[in-house]
Amino acid sequence: MRDRRLLFQRAAVTTVALVLLGGLAACSGPQDGDAKPAAGDAKPAKGGKLTVLNSDTQSDFDPARLYTSGGGNVPSLVFRTLTTRNREAGEAGTEVVPDLATDLGTPSENATVWTYTLKKGLKFEDGSPITSADVKYGVERSFAAELSGGAPYLRDWLIGGDSYQGPYKSGKGKKTLDSIETPDQRTIVFRLKKSVGDFPYLATQTQFTPVPRAQDTGTKYEEHPVSSGPYKVVRNTNDGERLQLERNPHWSEKLDDQRKAYPDTVDVRSGLDSAVINQRLSTSSGDDANAVTTDTNLGPAELAQIGQDKSLKARVGVGHFGYTNYLAFNPDVKPFDKPGVRQAISYAIGRSSVINAVGGSSLAEPATTFLPDQKAFGYTPYDHFPAGKNGNPEKAREALKKAGYKNGLTITLTHSTEEGEMGPKVASAIQQSLAKAGITVKLKGLEGNAYNEKRWDADGSPGLFITRWGADWPAGYPFLAPIFDGRQIVKDGANFNNAKLDDPAVNKEFDEISGLTDLDAAAKRWGALDSRIGEQALTVPLYHPVYQRLVGKNIRNVVISDWTGVLDISQVAVK
Amino acid sequence: MTVQDVLTPGAGAPPAPGPAAGARGVWRRLRGRPSAVVSGAVLAVLLLAALAAPLLTALSGQDPYTYHDELVDSASGGAPQGSFGGMSGEHWLGVEPGTGRDLFARLVHGARVSLLVAAGATVLQVAIGVAVGLAAALGSRWADQVLSRVTDVMVALPMLVLAIALTTVVSDDFPRPLLLVLVMGSLNWGGTSRVVRAQALTLRGLDFVAAARLGGSRPVRVVRRELLPSLAAPVITYAAVLLPSNIVLEASLSFLGIGVRPPTPSWGQMLSTATTWFRADPLYVLLPSALLFVTVLAFTVLGDAVRTALDPREAGRLRVGTRKEKTRG
Amino acid sequence: MADRFRGVPFVAKRLLGAALVLLVLATVLYALFYLVPGDPAQLACGERCSPAQVAQVRGQLGLDESAHAQYLHFLQGLFAGRDYSSGTSVQHCAAPCLGLSRQNDQQVTTLILAGLPATASLAFGAMVVWLTLGVGTGLLSALRRGGATERVLTVLTLAGTGTPVFILGLLLMMAVCAYLQWLPFPSYVPLTQDAEQWAWNMLLPWLTLGLFESAKYARLTRSSTLEVLAEDHIRTFRAYGVSERAVVTRHALRGALPPVIALSAIDLGSMMGGAMLTEQLFGIPGLGRLLIDSVRSVDLPVVVGVVLVIGTAVVVANAVADVLYALADRRVVLS
Repeated sequence: MRDRRLLFQRAAVTTVALVLLGGLAACSGPQDGDAKPAAGDAKPAKGGKLTVLNSDTQSDFDPARLYTSGGGNVPSLVFRTLTTRNREAGEAGTEVVPDLATDLGTPSENATVWTYTLKKGLKFEDGSPITSADVKYGVERSFAAELSGGAPYLRDWLIGGDSYQGPYKSGKGKKTLDSIETPDQRTIVFRLKKSVGDFPYLATQTQFTPVPRAQDTGTKYEEHPVSSGPYKVVRNTNDGERLQLERNPHWSEKLDDQRKAYPDTVDVRSGLDSAVINQRLSTSSGDDANAVTTDTNLGPAELAQIGQDKSLKARVGVGHFGYTNYLAFNPDVKPFDKPGVRQAISYAIGRSSVINAVGGSSLAEPATTFLPDQKAFGYTPYDHFPAGKNGNPEKAREALKKAGYKNGLTITLTHSTEEGEMGPKVASAIQQSLAKAGITVKLKGLEGNAYNEKRWDADGSPGLFITRWGADWPAGYPFLAPIFDGRQIVKDGANFNNAKLDDPAVNKEFDEISGLTDLDAAAKRWGALDSRIGEQALTVPLYHPVYQRLVGKNIRNVVISDWTGVLDISQVAVK
Repeated sequence: MTVQDVLTPGAGAPPAPGPAAGARGVWRRLRGRPSAVVSGAVLAVLLLAALAAPLLTALSGQDPYTYHDELVDSASGGAPQGSFGGMSGEHWLGVEPGTGRDLFARLVHGARVSLLVAAGATVLQVAIGVAVGLAAALGSRWADQVLSRVTDVMVALPMLVLAIALTTVVSDDFPRPLLLVLVMGSLNWGGTSRVVRAQALTLRGLDFVAAARLGGSRPVRVVRRELLPSLAAPVITYAAVLLPSNIVLEASLSFLGIGVRPPTPSWGQMLSTATTWFRADPLYVLLPSALLFVTVLAFTVLGDAVRTALDPREAGRLRVGTRKEKTRG
Repeated sequence: MADRFRGVPFVAKRLLGAALVLLVLATVLYALFYLVPGDPAQLACGERCSPAQVAQVRGQLGLDESAHAQYLHFLQGLFAGRDYSSGTSVQHCAAPCLGLSRQNDQQVTTLILAGLPATASLAFGAMVVWLTLGVGTGLLSALRRGGATERVLTVLTLAGTGTPVFILGLLLMMAVCAYLQWLPFPSYVPLTQDAEQWAWNMLLPWLTLGLFESAKYARLTRSSTLEVLAEDHIRTFRAYGVSERAVVTRHALRGALPPVIALSAIDLGSMMGGAMLTEQLFGIPGLGRLLIDSVRSVDLPVVVGVVLVIGTAVVVANAVADVLYALADRRVVLS
């Protein structure tokens, strides 16, 4: 995937006002006397109003435009998809399960054709039936330029997807996409260019949400998308700054075994400062006692402040989302063409100071593999260039010497000037750990947008820079292919294969594994492939982030899966 | 005359009585004011500390860039180990959370950047302001109209907006402190230009200037010999107001994340990363805040004292309200 | 008295000149942001857009046209309105159309209108604070010249001018919300939604901005009061035995207020653009925040739109201030 936070970076960066943080512990004291352990002794019950306090606005609330992993959090309250993520805590939550469809889909013709059957009796919020044509139309409109924003897989995989421009007048060419067939009202067939074992995962994304053609209003659809889920939009203020949801009477619990939908109404408030959100959650006064956040983590200062406060700590949910922050090389730039140089940097890296720079060991875990350390991705532990906690300067010098740099060398590290995961503090930490191995690092900071553009620039990406990658779904393909598959090198657009690895053997392995419909078998091979690519030291994995989030004091039934790493809003109860 | 003229300190001021009072007299008057002496002393200490930053940090055995991982508690968000933000014999003012960088070293090195940028910007603002103001006062009526309207816009527009815009446009390779000086300098000269124009207009009509002109002196010579010396007092007075406001502006830009580039420390930039820590590590926030506050206050007090020393008639009051004189235009 | 009647043509001339200046400003900004690094089409489309899709979005946003043509369209929208495709239909953006945000397809005018209430809440509330505090302090220090009270007040106002607004706000928040816990940490609630919560949550931002500005007002009030008190007619009143209180309230204050009112008008005007730092610090979703966010995301139409609105507010405020000032103080001649 993408950096999930990218589009919202500006929001994060501008929050100068992270300020508030402070009062956490203070406010938690007296008024929390009766604090009950949040995550659920008492049985969750229906009713009440759930408040969501977010910093990023829920903008573009249109299933065609959302870029989600597994259907998103708030979106999945309104949009049902063919399949969805299993709403269970931990590892079980990385599984994909049926949603609108009766099963995970039937592959045929070597997994190039996927056939789904819709459950019987499904209805939109106005009571009209959901048909396969609505699902097809939903996918089709996501190809329109007006509604851009979703993941690239549909364009890459569906036959004709690369040239199709959507059902609207503005798009050129045919208005329908023939590779999606709807032989009857409940059946939908997808015809793909190649074998894809991961298709059930893809079908969790909101582009697979049914959209009734008659009610499509183009870019205005986001103001009131027609619900297929347990809640419908009552009001959408200022493009998702506030989203008020109430029960959708035509949603049937019997036809949806994933969403619990305990609260009667959900009020999503956004555009809030992240420090204010955490402050309000910790104080939990009034409506805030029934509040959660779907996008705001606890920051380093907040964690330091919470410290030993047990009643507050009980309300902190810890989660892991498949994500890796790493150093990327562009081997076209000297001296990174020499494997020895890349190995030396891998040996020299001091991960603990990098981790401290992003908030310490409770917010990040050291990474030596590119794949996240979760079974679903096929995690296979390896550490080809052991650096320990603080780097291994001796081994690094040795590698340098072999590569022909007896007296050390000088390189440039490019980073973002905005504080954060790719910011100056991390860059300085890297600079200092490499200095111990005789590698002089010059820092080059670029302003946020310019930095992103540079990171993705196929021809001009810097020789060494800080970047990150996250999971579109918990499997090896979306995590590895954009970075290491030679066919995914993009010439004049956003390119993520920074190392420009185009190894026929690796490419062949990608094709073989991605065609497997046995996902467990595939996972094992992804792990092996990761380890194999890792030997080339094309990246230096730094750490996997950990999410720590507070909930209001009345919140029950907190479920955090390893798919999303954050609490699942469809499971939360306030009573 | 417009409200803006009235509100620009010194803009509507009465002409100084001939060339400015002697520097020695000003010095004597300044020394007689305790507030001036105290603020002057504070500033002297600060300037010395900034100048001697490498020396001071060498004395403490620290530098502003080295990470000290062992001094922060990784498990609790990277907060400094020990009380008072990790103060110790080695780290006099404690260390920065997350990185363990020495705060004393960062503060004194930050002072260099903050003061240098502010001083540079002030010089540039005064230079542009004097040039534009003189051109408006001495040029043709048409030139005066155009320049005055441009000045109006420069005074009226929120500076931060344009500063943000300008700083984003310029290449990342451009040296940042210089860029800040240029941006701040080129945007905030409106006030000076007004003061200068008003003064020059009144001076132009005064006997000694008129005499010089009638005596056949060339305009350049008149400006240099007669006008500039007389403008010194109001311009210095105005510069004394500008300097502290430039310190604040640099801090504000850094606070918004568009100031000097890390890891180079400046006070505003330290503040922008420190704000989250005010409960967990209050010293980290309070130190740069207090320094910034004291510096700006000292400059303001000193500026006020200089103002009154230059113009004893106006002792203890601001020119702002002086409305009796009508200026042309 | 005849001077007053020169006010109308004066203001008209001023506004016309200002309109021209604003147009020039818009053009300069347009050009400036054209140069900002970052491809707006790529930013709007998302990271994983294919080159073909980015090209399509570029066409959608009209970015494939020349800079010149884009600017002409912008002007056309401003004066005559323009149409945008919304996929299924055509969305009309009526004049003065500032264009569509590239981030979310919202009309810029809509975004600005959405930010206005928060900004106005902040500005007017802060004005109440600075008028009360600033004028009060100024008067007090003018009347008790040389005493201990004056010295304390002078130092306080100097301190006020010297404190960056974000430090002032930060310290206030630390003290009031974190240590004393008298108030919750502020988070903006619209007035229309809950007036009481609105006021409680705005209290700190008002105080911060008000305190910050009041220093300026204190100095202004003080100096203009001193000025008036030194004038001949006041001396005459005193000589005739009019009580000091009456001299101050009836005469001196009346003379001292015009510049205060004028300055307030100007400050209010420039705050319509959002007291950026205060909005940022307290997370108030006003125009200032909108501007900073849009600068960061290279959302050119929003940047230009907001700056135009700010510019207009400032120009209008200045004109209003000039008129108010002239009406209140006959001695000023408008020209």
